[in-house]
Amino acid sequence: MKKSAVDAVIRGLKKAGVSIVCYLPDSLFKELYPALDADPDIRTIRVTNEGEGAAICGGVFLSGKRAALVMENSGLRASVEPLARMGLGAGIPVVMLMSYRGELGENNWWAIPHGITMEPVLDALRIPYRVVREEEKIERAIADAYSWSYASYYHSAVALGGEVVR
Amino acid sequence: MKRFDCMKVLAARLKDELVILSLGGSVDEWYNAAPHMREASLFQQQLGCVTPQAFGLAAGLPHRRIVSLDTDGGLLFNLGILATLGNEQPKNLLVVVWDNEQYLSIGGPPTHTAFGRVDLAAIARGAGVEDAYLVRTLDEFDAHCKAGLAAQKPYIVVAKVSGTVQPDIRRKHSDGREDKYIFVRHVEATEGITIMGPSEHN
Repeated sequence: MKKSAVDAVIRGLKKAGVSIVCYLPDSLFKELYPALDADPDIRTIRVTNEGEGAAICGGVFLSGKRAALVMENSGLRASVEPLARMGLGAGIPVVMLMSYRGELGENNWWAIPHGITMEPVLDALRIPYRVVREEEKIERAIADAYSWSYASYYHSAVALGGEVVR
Repeated sequence: MKRFDCMKVLAARLKDELVILSLGGSVDEWYNAAPHMREASLFQQQLGCVTPQAFGLAAGLPHRRIVSLDTDGGLLFNLGILATLGNEQPKNLLVVVWDNEQYLSIGGPPTHTAFGRVDLAAIARGAGVEDAYLVRTLDEFDAHCKAGLAAQKPYIVVAKVSGTVQPDIRRKHSDGREDKYIFVRHVEATEGITIMGPSEHN
């Protein structure tokens, strides 16, 4: 990721009022994680799997603070169980920011499943999402996701793909 | 040692804390053992989510004491949270694990703790939560609850309890959504904050 894209993500998170970020690092966002760690206004929590991160974000919601779950899109699959229970069972929302691995242009065989499953899994969970491939649209997409999740009390997602992450 | 008796002992020590608890029979038991904590307790039906949610709440409200009432099956579902607690060292989180060595809510098939080898407190210590203890008596349990509620680092009490549910207790009637609203309104009122506010007019 270019520094300007990293800055746009952090601006979007701050605009949305996010103060806690849970993440499991990946390669496409590799420049983003240290920037989040270094930001004095954001507490980062490293997790062992994205489902754990989703549940921690749910707990942060209950505190009145705003959290984000940042991950590769493969983490969505690891998060399905807590997302389904928190979102559909209790109305506890999690906003996710994920890298879009496996879309057209992918050159790693192991990432193909991530591209094939991401949008159908989001659809199965009825999670609205926006795929952003232009840097100037990152900030607005993140802010919009929070607006929607804090009106619906349900999860939403922003997937960053294309030139934003490659 | 019965879980319901442990709950009554713990409940007597709680006043301003917030509680997140696990699924199955423990929900109805806590509802009855700690009636003064009903609004301050989030009753969840989520294997593997309870302690992570409690930690998220603890991270968001660092001045408030948070109690997680987890289970052997629930913790085994996501042991990774122990490593996260070991690294993050929250100062305001007490985790109680009701270890009845079985999946009681579906009739009692054994969990991995039933065979004498798997020690959740030892796993927690190995993950960096130094204060993690296995207890088998009510007095030990009470002493560790007292210490854990005052600790300035994460504290885990694994309570070996029998696989029984207190008979003839009133069942909680609300679902996860109603429970969340009750809990959120309690947090809002006691913290003086807004979590779920009014809609915009536009």
